[in-house]
Parts: sequence; C-alpha cells; structure tokens
Amino acid sequence: MSVLTTVAARWRVQAHLDFMWMTKDLRFFLINVVGDVILNLAGVTAVFLLAERFDGIGLWARDQVIFMLGYAALVRGFLDVGFSYNVLHISRRIGRGQLDHLLVQPQPLWMGLLTEGFMPFSGCWSLLTGAGITAWAVVQLGAGFPVQWWLLFGANLLASCAMALAFSFLWGALAFWAPVAAEEMSSRAVGFLYQLKAFPLDGLSAVVLTGMLTVLPVGFVAWYPSRQLLGIAAPHLWHTPLAALLLALVAGIVFKKGMEHYAQTGSQRYIAWGHRG
Amino acid sequence: MHRPDRSVTSPGDIAVELREVDKTFYQRQRSERFRDVLTNLFRPTIREIRALRGVNLAIRRGEIVAYAGPNGAGKSTTVKLLSSVLAPTAGTVRCLGMDPMTERVPYVRRIGVVFGQRTELWWDQPVAASFEWKRVVWEIPRSRYDEMLAFVKDLLGIGEFFHTLARQLSLGQKMRADIALMLLHEPEILFLDEPTIGLDVLAKRNILDFINTLNRERGVTVMLTSHDMDELEQLAGRIVLIDRGRIAYDGDFVELRRRFGDRRHLTIDTGTADPPTLAGVRSTGSDGNRHRYTFDAARTPITTLLQQASAQTVIHDVETHRSRIDDVIADIYQDWNTEHG
Repeated sequence: MSVLTTVAARWRVQAHLDFMWMTKDLRFFLINVVGDVILNLAGVTAVFLLAERFDGIGLWARDQVIFMLGYAALVRGFLDVGFSYNVLHISRRIGRGQLDHLLVQPQPLWMGLLTEGFMPFSGCWSLLTGAGITAWAVVQLGAGFPVQWWLLFGANLLASCAMALAFSFLWGALAFWAPVAAEEMSSRAVGFLYQLKAFPLDGLSAVVLTGMLTVLPVGFVAWYPSRQLLGIAAPHLWHTPLAALLLALVAGIVFKKGMEHYAQTGSQRYIAWGHRG
Repeated sequence: MHRPDRSVTSPGDIAVELREVDKTFYQRQRSERFRDVLTNLFRPTIREIRALRGVNLAIRRGEIVAYAGPNGAGKSTTVKLLSSVLAPTAGTVRCLGMDPMTERVPYVRRIGVVFGQRTELWWDQPVAASFEWKRVVWEIPRSRYDEMLAFVKDLLGIGEFFHTLARQLSLGQKMRADIALMLLHEPEILFLDEPTIGLDVLAKRNILDFINTLNRERGVTVMLTSHDMDELEQLAGRIVLIDRGRIAYDGDFVELRRRFGDRRHLTIDTGTADPPTLAGVRSTGSDGNRHRYTFDAARTPITTLLQQASAQTVIHDVETHRSRIDDVIADIYQDWNTEHG
C-alpha cells in the first residue's frame, strides 16, 4: 500500500468515527454546529465592524479586510479539521503521557499525528464559515482572479496552516522537558495566533512587525499572505511558504530532539483526560 | 483459524531477551527552605534513580511469566522497554529477534500491550468503532479480522456490549474490550501491566482463564505484572521477582516457597484458654480455646509441634494450611525493606 493510500485509509476511518460521534444526538449536533459558527464569526466580528465603520483599515479596503478575515477563518478551519484530538495541542499529549499510545501503533509517528486528529464533520464548521466569508469577499472584490492566483492562494493557505502547526509543535515540544509546566504550552501558542490572526498589522513599528513575522509569526497566519495575494504589497507569494518551511524544519528538529529525550525519560505521569474523547 | 508465520523468530526459541539492562532516571530534588531558592533554581540537586540494574532475563516462546515486585521496583519500566516506549540506558533489549526501539513499527505489529489503567478504546464511540479503527491502523486483512473478532467475542463475551459506548462500560467490560482489541492483530507476545487492577473476583477470573486459554491453544507468550500474587500463581509457571531494579528471584512458585520459607498456619483446639508454648513458631492469637500460630515447615516439622502441644494439653482438633502466596511475597518484600533499611 502506498503512503497516500495508507493515509487515506486512516482518514476514512477517522472520518467515520467523527461522523458517528457528530450524529449521535440531534441536539448535540445542532449545538455543535451553531456553537462553532458563532465562535468563528465572533472571532472576526471586531475587525469586521471596524472595517465596516471606517470603510477599511489603513491601506486595506473593507472587502480586502473581509478577505483576510475569511483567510484567517479558513486556516483555523483546516487546523480544526486535520488536527483535533489534541494533535494541534500536542503539549497536552506529551505532558499527559498519552504519546505512549501512538508509540505502540505500527505506523510512523508522523502518520499517526497526521491522521488521528482528522475530524472532517465536527471540525468543518469553522472551515465552512471561513469559506463563506472568503467567497463573499472575493465576489465583492469583483476581480476575476486567474487560475494561477487560486493556486497561489491554495499554496499560501497551506503554508499558513503549516506555520501555525509548526509554531504549536515548537512550543508544545517543551513538554518533553517540562511535562507539567508546559502541558498547556501549545494551547497558549495556538491561542495567541488565533487571537491576533485577524488584525491587519500595518502601521506597527519595524521592530514589532519583525517580531510578528519571526519570533511570534502571527503575521503569516493571514495578514502577510493576504496583502500579497490582494496586491496591497509587492507580490512575494513564496515568502509565506518559505517561512512555513523554515519554521517546520526548526519545529521538526526540536520535536525529534524531544522524542529522543522521551525515549530516555518516558513520561513520569499519565492522565487519560482528553485522550480519544 | 489462521496462525501467523512464526518461523522468523530469533534462534533458540527465545521470545524476550534482556541482557545487562540498566535504566536510569534523574529526579530533581527541591529543598523547601527559603534560603535554598537560588540553589533550587540554578544548581538543583539531581537524584539518580536506577530503575533497572544489570537485568538479565530470557523468556521462551509459549511461556507465561509473572513479573512481580513492590511499587517502584522496575516492573512498568521493563514493560515500557519491551513496548518501544523507552530505550535502555545500557544493555540490550531484544524481543522476537528485533530491537524494540530501532525496529518499532514492524515490532509493535507483532506484540500486544495492555496497561491496566489505560485504554486504547475510543471513549465516546461504541466498542465496535474502536475495533474497526484498529483493523485499519494495524492493516489487518478483513478475513483475518473477522476470524479474530469471532474468536475474542466468543472467549471474552464482548458481544453483549459491542455496540455500547466505551465510556458506559464497567471496569471489567472495559478491560475485556481492551484485551480483545489488543488481540485482533494476533500478537505473538503479550505484555500485560496490571491487567486485572480494580476488577472484581469474577471479572478477574474471566480474564485469567482467557489468558490461559490463549496461551494453551495459540501458544501466545505472556508476560504479566500484577500485585495479586494468588492470580499470578494460578496463571504463570514462572515468576520473576524484581526488587530495586535487580532480579531477586527467577523460578517457579514451588521453589520460591521453598527458598523463602514454606510458611504455614496452624490452628489447635485445646481444652484450655492458655495457648501451648511451642518452639520455632509465632503465635498469631487465640480465640477462646482455639490457638493460632505460623511457622516455617521447612525448619520445624509439624509433627514436632504437635508432640510439643500434646505434652502440654489435650488437643481436640488441628488445622493446618499453607500461607497464600500473597503472604509469602509480602514477607519477602518486608525482608527486602528491612535489609535495605
């Protein structure tokens, strides 16, 4: 079986689990859907209202801001769909000793992490919200984007997701060395990205902006790629994928070091909370 | 029923082999005194915990081995070394001819692991969903899966709750489901860390019977840890006792009793409330005219004790029985604690 077929088979079974979970009860289903949509809309409402009130923010026209909000919601949507069950919040798994479950499965660790958090039904509401906002913005912008633009849009979107994931894994890997203290580290890191992802960062000082694109790369989650895609800045559309690649590389090295450390120390504690449930 | 190809195993039919295995952990120590705050921060005291010291252990195919020891003796560490979770600090670990760390993926396909207080079940899903998940992740061919499912359903009786949510199962049902799940890929060796912890007597017996059947009918090698020595004695032909990281005993239960004292209980009914004074025994109390003692049968023959007693009083009745293995082991642990201070 090829790697792709294997991954697809695992995604399929996870999708089945997710569908059965999502549809176990009508009330649960509705609360889940409505709750997710409201949460996602609430996450972008403040910036949207500012853009609406002032007909844009700085260099950004109102519809461009909405595009960025949609892009940010899409990033969150993809992460919700692909990396639930605390894969995104990896420090929880490490800190609670739950990594052992993955180690006794006959698959490479990366494959377990890539597939075990796949929740296309319960996680898709953020994605659909993001897709809706983005589609609406694209229509309002009125520009007939060529196929090449859509390809770059996809590549940047993927890179932004990878950036957020790598950032989470980089901080989450601290739990290998300080399992209790760092148990919630990746949640904080992801929370930080989610909170700031929808703000246009133009006008910040060079120092702060550099920080927002390096140490705390929140700028790459939506702001930077959106301004490139919309032509607000010079179109260096390979910047976000390159930055994502670099951060993923660093996160990969740190995580590998962490795994080597884990093989020596293991986990001194085990908490079942949040494991497969 | 399908039998996996087991011809590619290490020579000599050895399933598990630990050679001079050391495992050391480091624990940060912290003083509670205020004046030590800076030391705690910048030069903390690190304590070395040697969980395993020069452990040599070989388990043959088809054996059931009980792996026992007091809390913190190194049992779970050994199971983790054999489950690809931990690497040894020194020495070599081989199982089924493979290195569990460097050959993790093909290796774990051939073993089954159950940690008593953990579950592999998907918590908010019916048991059946976890089984289907396992089939896909372990890439079990459908026909073999169906056969094994029928086998475990029959022997472990999981059919009655196969479509119940895992979170709604009782402890015993959950353990049965976890063991059944572990067996779906037909592992050649099982590592069971406290598989009966928290279970009631009947559930324990069912699990033990099942392990026995599995070993007898399918030749599965089993290594299990437990604090319940009576259950280990029922199940395993061999017991390995570990104390402070070293193997303190490796042999059968009969030899264990002989080596560490064949402790027995003696109850004598006499015509008087005064207990007879017997040499080489320990009085454990009297209840009216019934007097209870414990003694080491290897050192003090029971006939000698009865002669002593009958010389002092009239004996109406006598009962004697061996100590439960639990008591024997408890005595051994106590001796170890005394030796180590």
